[in-house]
Amino acid sequence: MSVRRLYETTYVINAALEDNDVEQVITRVSEYITNHGGTIQETNKWGRRRLGYPINKKFNGFYVHCIFDCAPSVIPQLDRFFILEDNVLRHLTLQLEEKLRTFRKTRAIAQAERAAMLAAAEAEKTAGKH
Amino acid sequence: MNPRKPNNPNNDILQPPMAAASSPFRKRQQQVRKKTSPMKKSRIVDYLDHKFLSRFINDQGKILPRRITGLTAFQQREISRAIKYARHLALIPFVAQDTK
Repeated sequence: MSVRRLYETTYVINAALEDNDVEQVITRVSEYITNHGGTIQETNKWGRRRLGYPINKKFNGFYVHCIFDCAPSVIPQLDRFFILEDNVLRHLTLQLEEKLRTFRKTRAIAQAERAAMLAAAEAEKTAGKH
Repeated sequence: MNPRKPNNPNNDILQPPMAAASSPFRKRQQQVRKKTSPMKKSRIVDYLDHKFLSRFINDQGKILPRRITGLTAFQQREISRAIKYARHLALIPFVAQDTK
């Protein structure tokens, strides 16, 4: 009973919805997870993105990525919940390895640093011109 | 006994290193370039990183074979799995129709 695993789920919401409706879907999903004994650790909204191919004649999707831990038995229920939810075009839940999580974090930090360096270089250039 | 066999004890006498270098067969083998890995060993495959995955698909959207990517068997398996996950989430296309 006490087995808890770390999962990550990525789902694509219909981007034709209004922003509040998108928020509602996200809260509904996170409430579903917490109501079944899971705890959400992170929710990242990637925002609207063009899909790689049209799904149900839609070309854009709102991507949400969520990291949570819960008992393994919750996952099939969550899967069913996603299928019944009409505004979710795609979903994928996978076990998240700690390695991948740390790797993503370190890479995000490195990218931010690089971006900051570039911005600083740009600023110096413009400062030199003036 | 075949003098070309590597375990022949007379090999050194029959084929000194100079002769080996001048042999056309030997020469061609030496020219084979060692593949450089397109992926660092410490790098972990992330299926959400579509920019990284796009290096391993052609412009039609197909997964490139290992002889072109030069990955190890393990890395190639990881990459192909990640590409399939990313396709499911519509991060990258199954087939690119508009190659403008």
